[in-house]
Amino acid sequence: MPDLPELNPVVHGRLRLALLSLLSGVEEAEFTWLRAKTEATDGNLGAQLLKLEEAGYVAVKKKFVLRKPQTLYRITETGRQALTEYVQALKQLLGPAVDV
Amino acid sequence: MQDHTTEQELKERLGIIETMIAEGRRNTESWGGTFVLWGVVYYLALAWSAWGHSVWAWPATMLIAVIVTVVVASLKAGNHPGTTLGRAIGSIWIALGISMFVLFLALGLSGRLTDQHLFVAVISAILGLANGASALILRWKVQLACAVVWWVAAAATCFGSDAQSMIVFLVAIFLCQIVFGIYGVIAEAQVRKRRDPIHA
Repeated sequence: MPDLPELNPVVHGRLRLALLSLLSGVEEAEFTWLRAKTEATDGNLGAQLLKLEEAGYVAVKKKFVLRKPQTLYRITETGRQALTEYVQALKQLLGPAVDV
Repeated sequence: MQDHTTEQELKERLGIIETMIAEGRRNTESWGGTFVLWGVVYYLALAWSAWGHSVWAWPATMLIAVIVTVVVASLKAGNHPGTTLGRAIGSIWIALGISMFVLFLALGLSGRLTDQHLFVAVISAILGLANGASALILRWKVQLACAVVWWVAAAATCFGSDAQSMIVFLVAIFLCQIVFGIYGVIAEAQVRKRRDPIHA
């Protein structure tokens, strides 16, 4: 029997997984857009984004638009790779019938 | 880790990935209202030009619709992050708008916009092209059906009387702008309703 793959614990968190999946489809996204899509609280969202940032999976850019602060997040190459590996591991664990 | 992770949990994670990727890429469904707006504008322009006999019917209504669409688009752009997909689809519709505006303004001003059959055929073919391209990019069968309706209308209007040509155009507008637009609005509302908050 082949060895079952380990699931990356940083990616495995529900909100972190949702954030990486969301960011994988866009160039960059504002904090407010991520909050609207996940319906998470500010504190929780900020904490999970910080974990992803510390893991090098997302990059943060802060700027001012019409004097209002804007925080933009984008998935890094490392983050994209981690998400791809996570999906592959999930497929392996769930069997060949799964198609993502 | 997987010792403690049930199959149900793994499937749930897979569901999150699918839902969130789809959320990030969702585009045309958010434009349902705009499709309805343009359908209504076409009807207004047709009614104005038929009963008002004004050469300004089409340019005036189109210009107002363009302004409203640009305002809506700029408001949406502020809320939605850019995607390659979104830019591709946006480019198709912007190019369509510019092509139609330049062509029909020039035809109108030169006095060569006299053949109703040709007018309906060109509009239908261009709308078929834009809907078809969007549908193929998004792999969206409902929009592809709209493209087919426009292409059929473009071909059908070349035959028959003026009245029959107009009926074909009115039906195509109703199906591909009003019905499709309302479908888009409902589809978006359902997605919003289904979504549960995601917790860590």
